[in-house]
Amino acid sequence: MKRTLPQSVALYSGLLLVFLIIGMPFWWVVSGSVKLPREIIARVPTMFPQSFTTQHFEKLFQSTDFPAYLVNSIGVALFSTIVTVALALPAAYAFFRMRFPGRNALYRLILLAYAFPTIVVLIPIYGLFAKVGLIDTRTSLVIVNIAFALPFSIWMMRSFLSTVPKEIEEAAIIDGAPARVILLRIMAPLIAPGIASVAIFTFIASWTEYLFASVLIVSDARRTVPVGFAGIIGQYQIDWGLLLAGATAATIPVVILFAFVGRWFVSGLTEGAVK
Amino acid sequence: MKARLLTIAGLASILMGSSAFAEPVSLTLWHMEQPPHRVQRMQELLDEFNKTHPDVQVKQEPQSWGEIYAKAPAAFAAGTGPDMLFAIPDFTTVIKGIDAVVPVDDLAKDMEAKHGFVPSTIAPYQYDGQTWAIPVYNMALSMWFRNSALKEAGVEVPKTWTEWKAVAEKLSTDGKYGVGLPANKQLYTDQTVYALMVNGGAADIYKEDGSISFDTPQTVASLQAYGDLQKLSPPDSTSWTWGEAEACFASASCGTILQFSVINTYETQAEADAADLGVAPVPHADDQSESGTISYSNAIMLTTKDEAKQAAAKVFIAWLLEPANYGRFLTMEPGLFLPVTNDGAKAESFWNDPIVTKYKSQVETMIANSQNGKLFGFTTGKVFPSIGAISGQNVIAESLQKMVVDGQSAAEAAKFGQARMSEIAGK
Repeated sequence: MKRTLPQSVALYSGLLLVFLIIGMPFWWVVSGSVKLPREIIARVPTMFPQSFTTQHFEKLFQSTDFPAYLVNSIGVALFSTIVTVALALPAAYAFFRMRFPGRNALYRLILLAYAFPTIVVLIPIYGLFAKVGLIDTRTSLVIVNIAFALPFSIWMMRSFLSTVPKEIEEAAIIDGAPARVILLRIMAPLIAPGIASVAIFTFIASWTEYLFASVLIVSDARRTVPVGFAGIIGQYQIDWGLLLAGATAATIPVVILFAFVGRWFVSGLTEGAVK
Repeated sequence: MKARLLTIAGLASILMGSSAFAEPVSLTLWHMEQPPHRVQRMQELLDEFNKTHPDVQVKQEPQSWGEIYAKAPAAFAAGTGPDMLFAIPDFTTVIKGIDAVVPVDDLAKDMEAKHGFVPSTIAPYQYDGQTWAIPVYNMALSMWFRNSALKEAGVEVPKTWTEWKAVAEKLSTDGKYGVGLPANKQLYTDQTVYALMVNGGAADIYKEDGSISFDTPQTVASLQAYGDLQKLSPPDSTSWTWGEAEACFASASCGTILQFSVINTYETQAEADAADLGVAPVPHADDQSESGTISYSNAIMLTTKDEAKQAAAKVFIAWLLEPANYGRFLTMEPGLFLPVTNDGAKAESFWNDPIVTKYKSQVETMIANSQNGKLFGFTTGKVFPSIGAISGQNVIAESLQKMVVDGQSAAEAAKFGQARMSEIAGK
């Protein structure tokens, strides 16, 4: 169907608006990170850099512990993501397909994890982790991230599983495939976009988690990006160039994840459809 | 007095002399000086101390002011708290409230005798008959401006609120703002408003009996003066914290601001001449005779019940306040951290820092201003627990917002503040 001119104008206007809303803050941060300090703090901002410098990135990577924070964040976010996906997939399949007493009640109950503001459980969790020697370990952050990401991930994953035609599963059962094989060989490839969504959701939630990372981690060497970066910036005196360089650098792993995971999983989905 | 000094010296010698027989006493220091250059300077000092005091090993674990109010109590409850903890006055009341801080009267008296504290820096830590922390650096709000801008406008440095408003109006030309005062519900606004209250005779927000004394004619006049000046500030100043005000000043868009220090930003981001940077006391009300300000005395608390650790920590703090070391501690953030001791203010190790040398006249003025510093809730010699919540909930800033954002009168804003503070104090 061919679009009329007004439809095209409306479509592209909408696209431009979405691009501006999403892209402008990002552009502001990235372009600002290569400006000279005087241009950054100018009262009248410049849309395109009138100056160019890499001094903020040099300072960020040479004079601060940002690289260490980056490594910690990548490790914590990756482990949190892998374990969450590994637990959410079978759990969601169990809630979707298996029959057991209290299934529906339990399925609704898991979302109770979101009923409490995180600040309320902060102190009890601190006390609990202190007793088992997990304070100041990255493991503690992985555990917390999984605990908070898993319930919603199970819900998301179950919704994706429900979109798979029952006939495909029945065909596998007729061929004698056990539940484990059906889940991993049949269902998982078919809900690859769902797994990707859960992975991205968990990764970003872990990547940006601040409260627990700030309290459970004590030593500088184990800090993640949000907490370590907040320390670099300071309170009373702000190095704006450093702030923008750090914000730019912090988004790169997430952008890579979107590009890589998105493409990989879409490819997997297409292959599944051809089969 | 000599006996106490001998005690400290004795402790030091015992700790140093027994190295062949005992494990070193390990101390953990939590401070909130997270920027990397501060951590690095602190580490240099710790390395030096640890080397010269082999029986005491101090390690630092930098924390954030943003989380320390929740993190420290949790850590003490779990038995994983530090042995020494940096503090500001209202934070000390929180830690004292959970019985995690030990008094340091003996060390305070010794350090007073040896170095002489600026009275306003130790006073906020002395209540309930004891001293709860040893001050180590001070920060005080001053008024910052550019000499060239005032000269160009043909005006003098303002000393009173009326003069300040006149100067700000003169400086408000060509898209520039004569003044940059925040009106955010945030600590910076608490500080700037209180700086005017101190200069308007409204420094005491508590009465002797602990009831609130915010709704006074002096507070109303202070809020009114602040509101009048705030109208000459940039429109986005209602969401400012320290950084935005500093950027406005460094970009020459704001003629005058109240800030602890702008030296670092001015030096690294403004690309301007050091001699052009002006600093003066915060202007006072027309009916007052001299200027005061708000000051934050930062201190170290002892938070260990272990007597050997307490003794070791006292040795460390005494070492830190020695003029030869103290200046290097203060210049971990040159031009921001001010001395709390009389001999520290004269220490070569302080004045030899390149930035302090370059901005010597400004730093001298800052030190002079800091001598007249006060802090809300710590002005009467009595400290009431509700000050932590009043400060944490930014009630002073919230009261100002009633006027600046909601359009209420200064009298109504003061009335609101009185009711809100009384409600908090009554809980």
